[in-house]
Amino acid sequence: MWGALLRRGLRGAGGLRWLSSGGPPWSQVVSEAEKIVGYPTSFMSLRCLLSDELSNIAMQVRKLVGTKHPLLDTARGFVYDSRNNLQMRGLVVLLISKAAGPSTAELSFQHDMVSGIYSSQRSLAEITELIHTAFLVHRGIVNIGELKSCDGPLKDMQFGNKMAVLSGDFLLANACTSLAQLQNTKVVELISSAIGDLVQGIYYENSKSSEENCLTDDIGISRWKEQVFLSHSALLAKSCQAAMELAKHSAEIQDMAFQYGKHMSMSHKLHSDLQPFVKESSSDTMAFSLNSAPAILHQEFCGREAWLKQIREAQGKGNIVDYKKLQEAIKAGKGVTSAIDLCRCHGNRALAALERFPPSEARDALANIVYAVTRFP
Amino acid sequence: MWCEGRGKERNPFRCFCLGNQGNLTSNKTTLLKNAVTRFHHTSTSRCCSCSKTISDEKYQDPFQLGRKDLKNLYEDIKKELLVSAAELKEMCDYYFDGKGKAFRPMIVVLMARACNIHHNNSKEVQASQRSVAIIAEMIHTASLVHDDVIDDANSRRGKRTLNQIWGERKAVLAGDFILSAASVALARIGNTTIISVLTQVIEDLVRGEFLQLGSKENENERFAHYLEKTFKKTASLIANSCKAVSILGCPDPKVHEIAYQYGKNVGIAFQLIDDVLDFTSCADHLGKPTAADLKLGLATGPVLFACRQFPEMNAMIMRRFSKPGDVERARKYVLQSDGVQQTTYLAQRYCHAATREIRKLRPSPEREALVHLTEMVLMRDK
Repeated sequence: MWGALLRRGLRGAGGLRWLSSGGPPWSQVVSEAEKIVGYPTSFMSLRCLLSDELSNIAMQVRKLVGTKHPLLDTARGFVYDSRNNLQMRGLVVLLISKAAGPSTAELSFQHDMVSGIYSSQRSLAEITELIHTAFLVHRGIVNIGELKSCDGPLKDMQFGNKMAVLSGDFLLANACTSLAQLQNTKVVELISSAIGDLVQGIYYENSKSSEENCLTDDIGISRWKEQVFLSHSALLAKSCQAAMELAKHSAEIQDMAFQYGKHMSMSHKLHSDLQPFVKESSSDTMAFSLNSAPAILHQEFCGREAWLKQIREAQGKGNIVDYKKLQEAIKAGKGVTSAIDLCRCHGNRALAALERFPPSEARDALANIVYAVTRFP
Repeated sequence: MWCEGRGKERNPFRCFCLGNQGNLTSNKTTLLKNAVTRFHHTSTSRCCSCSKTISDEKYQDPFQLGRKDLKNLYEDIKKELLVSAAELKEMCDYYFDGKGKAFRPMIVVLMARACNIHHNNSKEVQASQRSVAIIAEMIHTASLVHDDVIDDANSRRGKRTLNQIWGERKAVLAGDFILSAASVALARIGNTTIISVLTQVIEDLVRGEFLQLGSKENENERFAHYLEKTFKKTASLIANSCKAVSILGCPDPKVHEIAYQYGKNVGIAFQLIDDVLDFTSCADHLGKPTAADLKLGLATGPVLFACRQFPEMNAMIMRRFSKPGDVERARKYVLQSDGVQQTTYLAQRYCHAATREIRKLRPSPEREALVHLTEMVLMRDK
């Protein structure tokens, strides 16, 4: 049914265009996509997960139950991911590999293609997930010096840190080894630089939250975009490009893949940031980051002074922020609509990049992903 | 493991100890002590190039020989660390201040030259070989940064650790960044074999760290476990970077194996001496706290040897010196035993193995410098 809708859309609008009615629900997008690429990507390489080292860690992480170390949350997230975000990057890499089709370079290159995807591209999808996961884990390190007695025993936190560093390093080392096995220096360079980008992006994320007496940065939307590119887009964008390189596609196709990866992930981040502001009124207000897109845009529109004043007004006793109040303030301004526009703008750019690929199921699936992350109630 | 002569069984202790019962007899102890003393008293100042040493041929101070290639090493490393955030840049540059020993890059460039000369008498170090030296030092530093977080260390090389100054979160990121930059530099060499060889190091470093988490019950297993951990955490980097430069300089696989074996043996020796110094040196001189290994629950060479004389140490080893007073007791046992001497002797044997390997290459000042370097490993006091 969705395929038919899209084809109509394609023929009607002369290409891929954003449909205001939105695409199928996210879970369906994901499961359709998994069928297209030939196997479910809902678990990481079993080989890695079942390794002695990680089994060891898993056993040790049990000791963290009852403590407040973030590693526990991260670990839970792998098992109970409610928004089907598991393996999304890997899935996108597989889809774009399939969408680009076989290499036009040499006929002798037509080796081990399964479901239209080269084994090297599958390996790359796995590598992307390994890196993403490694950093989810490394993000969950706590600063020992900032711990308070309510955080629990110091020993537990130190232990949690140790496990987090080790398991993150293990995943990264596996990623590096698999990268080396691809026997392609350009891909190694690209993905290694993506790791560097990710580190810098996370660094910026951290810096914000550790500022004292200031819950929000004085950054405009363009700085925000640069930083979010690093922390949320670079890895996927460069992996998509690398997938093209593995199949020796042209520089143009490589760039289109990069653009898709970049703009789709930007949309995804914006979509995620907007959730607290666009959900139908619920009993509880979702907490949101004061450095999320709607807040940053709101600040740009009304000016920093006015914004800081609003924050102060929303702070009650003990400087606890009344998020509901702030949310109202932001919704009353132009931040939310502006963020939605930005999300759709990136979505359109992702779709535009997709147009350079020949029509296929895989391409449709990639488009559906864009529709899913640009849809608002 | 490598076992000389006696004992039919592959018990590593039997092989490495003097005497056929695995117990030192008193005259053999003296023999060992004299040998060790002789090593420790053969002093060489850095600038003098004519002192007598074990090797007969005239040698040059390795640090002088490699000086030209390593000039600007740290500047070049910093250039690879392209970070926009000023603080993150400061963190990444922190250990590349030129105050480290630069021991690993030194070995790498000397090996590069020795192999180049062996192959076609070329006296130049290729740019790619120099890159390997840079990459090796970066990988090494990245792992140190993470180790310090894992061990909750507060000083290294005479200054505070990254995690101590900037906190654990940022320290871990800095380590990740240095590793990614090393990886980019590695890719730019443009040689997939070299990428594989050096990536193996990254894997070994992590696995070595995991090995340190676990422990073995059986005495014999413990020593093998200790040596395996030592290889992965220390020697693999040196062995594989030597191998990498040999591949770049010479097509002969026999040379690659020689380079690898030299690096492996010297690397193990280096770590063994490091483990000895943890007991014999004082904190100020070393630049980091002593008895650090015991405090981390690690049973290193001197401890494992001491345990043979003082079986009461077994229980402490099993509980990783966690009971109050364990560290001090263990330390006393070690200093009372011949653990230090045994470990030093073992290191000496590895150095000899390294020397035997490197002497298979065509003679050159660099080759002899590498021989001398093994002696310097034994004579280290920090």
